[in-house]
Amino acid sequence: MTGRGVSGPRVVIAPPVPALLGRYASLQDPVGPLRAACAGAVGWLDEPVRVLADDGQGHAVAESLLGRPADAAGGNLLVMANGSACRTEKAPGHLDPRAAGFDARLGALLAAGDLAGLAALDRGLGRDLLAAGLESLAGLQALGLQVASATIDYDDDPFGVQYWVVRWQCES
Amino acid sequence: MTLRLRSRAFADDATLMMAIVNRTPDSFYDQGATWAEEAAYERVVLVAAQGAEIVDIGGIKAAPGAEISVAEEKARVVDFVARVRETHPELVISVDTWRAEVGDAVCAAGADVLNDAWGGADPELVDVAAAYGAGIVCTHTGGVRVRTRPHRIEYDDVVAAVIADTTAYAERALAAGVPRESIVIDPAHDFGKNTFHSLEVTRRLDEMVATGWPVLVSLSNKDFVGETLDLPVGQRLTGTLAATAVSAWHGARVYRVHEVVETRQVVDTVWSIAGRRPPARAIRGLA
Repeated sequence: MTGRGVSGPRVVIAPPVPALLGRYASLQDPVGPLRAACAGAVGWLDEPVRVLADDGQGHAVAESLLGRPADAAGGNLLVMANGSACRTEKAPGHLDPRAAGFDARLGALLAAGDLAGLAALDRGLGRDLLAAGLESLAGLQALGLQVASATIDYDDDPFGVQYWVVRWQCES
Repeated sequence: MTLRLRSRAFADDATLMMAIVNRTPDSFYDQGATWAEEAAYERVVLVAAQGAEIVDIGGIKAAPGAEISVAEEKARVVDFVARVRETHPELVISVDTWRAEVGDAVCAAGADVLNDAWGGADPELVDVAAAYGAGIVCTHTGGVRVRTRPHRIEYDDVVAAVIADTTAYAERALAAGVPRESIVIDPAHDFGKNTFHSLEVTRRLDEMVATGWPVLVSLSNKDFVGETLDLPVGQRLTGTLAATAVSAWHGARVYRVHEVVETRQVVDTVWSIAGRRPPARAIRGLA
């Protein structure tokens, strides 16, 4: 895919990690590289930006990343989602053997900008694996977006939780 | 209040470890372990590596004992201060002395703070601090003379007496020209106090903090801890750290200590519990 010269809506997918919130700041940032990737991607979004999140915590993290309240409407989107939280024995949800396959599938769909695939993802399995934002990801298909290019800014699981920061340039 | 100790400034939420370095043959805790200059120097190197912001170098033990002349005290500390100044430019150097003449010599050699454990016994000490822009620690001794033990001292209200005397001393230092941000007050546990007095001062340290002057506490392995637990010197660390935790909760800023690492961990933990310091690195439940 190529997004060169495309001027349609921009979409960022970022994980709703509470450690990104100012009220949970530490002396040493445990999520420094993730925070930097999120800041870069969010800075790429032109205003107005609408936030899609599955819960209040997701909205709070999104507004923390934006540094302002989200807009009620707008073509550019900040979607708060992440993969499983069951990738290792030390992970929040302990090790689940299904996590790696689920995350591989979700990662491929995000990299491909495959909205139909995201809508068809097994969200029950995702809930079991403590994945976040799957309802928001599934809802993207109904918005009629056409992803022209996808850029993966971050792809890691530092605490046994799979995070991505992804930028989609859509066609207008 | 921001603390400025000559060249170094510390934000008003910072806590500081002041490590005791004795150039004495007879101090109560270490029994002369750092009497030799090399041993004292090795202790400076150790406590600096452990993260102490301040070293407090003393040439005379606090307890009664052989008279130490000015010349002898200077021989013990002045050249040593100069050596530490040269090798540890980042370290705040405090000297535990009540004598203005000694204070003058150590400030000329690079000391940043005069820790007057005897509450202004030599009235010219504040002038020395002012002349060099050095900090000064204003302690409460309850009027006892230098290097004497308390005997049957009573107070109507020990905390009121501590606050009255230390803040009066601080005002005197200010009037002499010591910068406001370079003046610290110290209730001086055990000095002019029985164990009940020292416990009450600890319990009510918030009243001292409320004066606005930065508070230094010197609790380390002292008799009030020993008498509270009926434990000899050498077995008072846990009790010392308990008193440290209470002092930190109340907001003490400077901790004069033998054990730097343990005290730093206690103070940091309490400071975080009090909401004055973020955790070092928190991710539990937040990933």
